[in-house]
Amino acid sequence: MILFRVVQSPLRRTACTVARLRHSAGMHGLRMIGKVLLAAGLVGVGHGQDEVYQKGPDSMAKSGVPAGKVTKGKWMSKIFPGTVRDYWIYVPSQYDGSTPAALFVAQDGSGFISEEGAFNAPVVFDNLIHEGAMPVTVGVFINPGAIPPIEETSKPRSNRSFEYDSMGPRYAQFLLEELLPEVGKTVKLTTDPKRRVICGNSSGGICAFTVAWEHPESFGNVVSHIGSFTDIRGGHVYPAMIRKTEKKPIRVFLQDGASDLDNLYGNWPLANQQMAASLKFKEYDYQFVLGEGKHSGRHGGAIFPETMRWIFRDWKEAK
Amino acid sequence: MKRVALSSVCGWILAAVVSAQDMPLSQVLIEGEDWQLMAEGYGFTDACAADREGNLYFSDVKNGNGIFKMDLTGKVSIWRDGLPGISGLQFGPDGKLYACQNKQERLIRIVPGSGEVEVLAEGVRPNDLVVTALGAVYFTDTKPQEIHSVSVRGEHRVVHRGDLMRPNGITLSPDQGTLVVSDHGAKFVWAFRIESNGDLAHGQPYMTVATPPRTEESKGDGSTTDAYGRYYVTTDVGLQMFDPTGRLCGVIATPAPKAVSVEFAGPGLAYLYLAADGKIFRRKTASAGVLFQEPPFLARVYGAAAR
Repeated sequence: MILFRVVQSPLRRTACTVARLRHSAGMHGLRMIGKVLLAAGLVGVGHGQDEVYQKGPDSMAKSGVPAGKVTKGKWMSKIFPGTVRDYWIYVPSQYDGSTPAALFVAQDGSGFISEEGAFNAPVVFDNLIHEGAMPVTVGVFINPGAIPPIEETSKPRSNRSFEYDSMGPRYAQFLLEELLPEVGKTVKLTTDPKRRVICGNSSGGICAFTVAWEHPESFGNVVSHIGSFTDIRGGHVYPAMIRKTEKKPIRVFLQDGASDLDNLYGNWPLANQQMAASLKFKEYDYQFVLGEGKHSGRHGGAIFPETMRWIFRDWKEAK
Repeated sequence: MKRVALSSVCGWILAAVVSAQDMPLSQVLIEGEDWQLMAEGYGFTDACAADREGNLYFSDVKNGNGIFKMDLTGKVSIWRDGLPGISGLQFGPDGKLYACQNKQERLIRIVPGSGEVEVLAEGVRPNDLVVTALGAVYFTDTKPQEIHSVSVRGEHRVVHRGDLMRPNGITLSPDQGTLVVSDHGAKFVWAFRIESNGDLAHGQPYMTVATPPRTEESKGDGSTTDAYGRYYVTTDVGLQMFDPTGRLCGVIATPAPKAVSVEFAGPGLAYLYLAADGKIFRRKTASAGVLFQEPPFLARVYGAAAR
């Protein structure tokens, strides 16, 4: 079981991974099956070499650990006009309202809260908060918006790419001016960026980075899994921007897989290595984990508890 | 079994992929197929439109005096003479050909056969138009930065003003729920939801257009949609293609400068036709166009009222 692979030298590690994959007939076979399934339109992503990544004990409910509460909300945005989206708020049982809670915000939120999903974030948070590895943290899990159709025979217009892949401050504005103030009506959230984490997968990953990049005074931590630092809407320039921009107070965790996407927008493993190399060059507090997986949340989900431990490793001192 | 397990494990990402599959140019372009010159010798070709059979209709804004029809073999004839200055054309569900007669400052429709002209709006300078399956018209008036509509009952009004520097090309999503408008003077293509009363709501700069170096002006002009919901926009750097979620999927090189109008026509509506530099070109594709004068697919399946 591969739970966590800390990568000291990201670039060398890739070479090894790629080489091993090339010489592994088993992996090749799995990849071929994957291609057949893909061609048949049976699955989009998330199989083959990803199956080595399994959730560990911190991602399962433990007896004696109190469970937080998840409530669902619906939001109609003005900043993304006409969009409607679901979101979920996780409040840990330890939250008593006396002190502001730390904040974790995930894009494509529904995938993070599902028990069968790759992340099972509420249970991870229950366990880590109980253990003291994380502060009392409120989770906000947000789906991308869609503009519902007028006619039943029309489709909703997905706003995901527009919201997540676009660079610039608009999505951060949506969070900071619309949704988080709404969440703040029911729970007190800290304003300390060191205790505010923004997370996402794929386009949600670059979205998370963009929010912290635009507003480091609001989010001091980024967690990106299989992040789309490619040219979907210009985000491939981040590695160059990081190198030339005065260092920002952001802690960054990046995960990707050597078999991630290589398509019209770019090459995900290379893009993530470029990100990691730029963060290293600029001496950011960063961690890059490059596994063997494809464009799925399995690896990121399997190591999610370790990732949160790393993000919050000094939360007690930082107080 | 595998499929069930995976879809639960990666439900979020599957959902994302299903709603936004990558659509590279290779899904549309055919290896070995290039642009073919179909007609030349005009001053300024524009206003490409298709009928159900795949015949192409176009105009010569500069030197022409009417509407040309190109049949499937490429033979050109004059379909209607004596109507100069047309910059946009599309057939309506009533079988009439709707036209932006820009220089004459009016929106008209032409009755096939008799050639009779019905005036729908005057005192405007319509640039390009789209007609829905119900017969509502949306058109751009570029200079005052306006999008106008003429309802099924013939009521003419402005439905959007501003935001776009020079609103120009105009098209619909295949389900006709979304109106899409290119901006000649900026780098965005806007999307609006069409409301029950014909209003436009929730406008967003949904697509970002590639622009030449040192300018944010895309020269985004003629626009069309294929049956898969991809959008095609003529620009200064080529014919740009976007997927239904607004992501730029690629730029198709154009065979001549100043491409201003694009439409699917020809056999099976499988050919991209392009008006550029006083010429008409076409190129076979692996895709197909969609006729907005006909009810959208789902509306046809369920028999529901189309917009």
